Amino acid sequence: MNVLTRKLVAKELYLYRWLLVGAGAAGFAGLLTAASGEIGFNIGFIVWLTAIIALGVMLALFGVASERKERSLLFVLSLPLAPGDYVRAKLLGLLACFLLPWAGLSVGALALILVMPGIADGLLPYAVLLCVFLLMNFAFVLCAALHISSEAGMGGVIILTNMSVSLFMMGVGRTSEVGAHMLSPTPVWNAMFWLLLAAEAAFTLLALSLPLFTAARRRDFL
Amino acid sequence: MSAKAIEMNGVRKAFRFFTLEDVSLDLEQGQIMGLVGPNGAGKSTTIRLLMGMLTPDAGSIRLLGHAMPAQQALAKRDVGFVSDDMKLLPQATLAWHMDFVASIYPGWDAAYAAQLLKRFGLHAGQTAKSLSTGEQAKALLLLALARRPRLLVLDEPTSGMDPVARQELLTEFMDVLRDDSRSILFSSHNTVDVERISDRITFIDRGRVVASDSKDDFIERWRTVRLRVPEGMPDWRLPEIVHRDVDGPNVTLTVDGFSDDFLARLGAPVQEVHRMSLEEVFVATVMHSREALEVRP
Repeated sequence: MNVLTRKLVAKELYLYRWLLVGAGAAGFAGLLTAASGEIGFNIGFIVWLTAIIALGVMLALFGVASERKERSLLFVLSLPLAPGDYVRAKLLGLLACFLLPWAGLSVGALALILVMPGIADGLLPYAVLLCVFLLMNFAFVLCAALHISSEAGMGGVIILTNMSVSLFMMGVGRTSEVGAHMLSPTPVWNAMFWLLLAAEAAFTLLALSLPLFTAARRRDFL
Repeated sequence: MSAKAIEMNGVRKAFRFFTLEDVSLDLEQGQIMGLVGPNGAGKSTTIRLLMGMLTPDAGSIRLLGHAMPAQQALAKRDVGFVSDDMKLLPQATLAWHMDFVASIYPGWDAAYAAQLLKRFGLHAGQTAKSLSTGEQAKALLLLALARRPRLLVLDEPTSGMDPVARQELLTEFMDVLRDDSRSILFSSHNTVDVERISDRITFIDRGRVVASDSKDDFIERWRTVRLRVPEGMPDWRLPEIVHRDVDGPNVTLTVDGFSDDFLARLGAPVQEVHRMSLEEVFVATVMHSREALEVRP
């Protein structure tokens, strides 16, 4: 990573520091609420989930779409970099912004499952898949923001990716290989789990690398 | 380095409703070029092509000797670019922007930046979103000037500024050129600003360069000539006459290529000869170019 890319990554972390702190605080507040009992678990889970999804959407919107709309993109492009450098730095910077709270909140959620006596450890594989799915979801929104300049288009992407979280939770929760073991006293790390995890990882990598081959090679960057 | 600051040759860029056609520009080091054109003429497109943000469909572009857009990262190390379309990062303070730019450009002159901050009446602690339009423009110029670039590319830099701020800015531009290896390309539709500071002037209209010359040559070549021809309008076929206004026996000619020889060939009693302002030259050039395009088959 060259000096300018490092500066641009640091720029994203600086600009969105309060968003990261806010999302992290909201997510941890959700985890604390989830530890307070059955009703608290449901409320806390929704707060935790919302904090991570909202963080991803806001990072993509503020970090890419608003930069374009508010015309500060031109300022960044006036720096000694090529469009490819910009796309690479943007991906790395916003990914770092997302990964910091996401990692903390994911570890927090998994720890909660392990520590809380009322929650079966069998939920762990499902929770791991959900956490990685949220990362994949962010990668898709970020990838879309780097390709789509229309607000309506981005609105559509956000609606679809948000809906996909519910569909994923329902779908995976109903599978016999993963969903059926959610209430087991011990986690079951079976082949289906690893297959789903590998698919999520592959799609995440695909979504994060696609802009390097498309957006970064656009002939006209404005 | 002996390369020209800017070289554009036969550049073409087509959009759905607008085409920049066969644009060629040359700017020697140490010169200021004013790029003048009406709104929508292609000034910003030309500058974005020059800065590597757009790729030409045809033609070649070199910026400080570097091929664009391929070598834009290298070329932009020595270029300060400011556009009226450009904004700072809204959440960050001006001090943050100054530190950010200083950390990227080794030539950053902190003392000069502090001096400009004071001269422009800016406060380093202000966030960009709290700056007015004029303050934004000044802040962007501060960031471009204090990095001491070899070339300043300014797209309508004075739009949204009051006359005092514009004067301050033009003075700064002249200051930049005390070092004769530095150059400025300056686009504007304000001909007063361009006339004040430019060495060379290029007029652009409807995606084409319609004239490009030194400012002195423009001012020397163009005149309005008033005559009284009571016996009726002679059948002048002089190529220097670009436009004629006839009001009874009173005729006003707009002339490109004025000389004593022209007056002799006119063969009519001349009442007055006026030098034209750059704005008048610009309007006459654009109108003449449009008429020529309309009569072309």
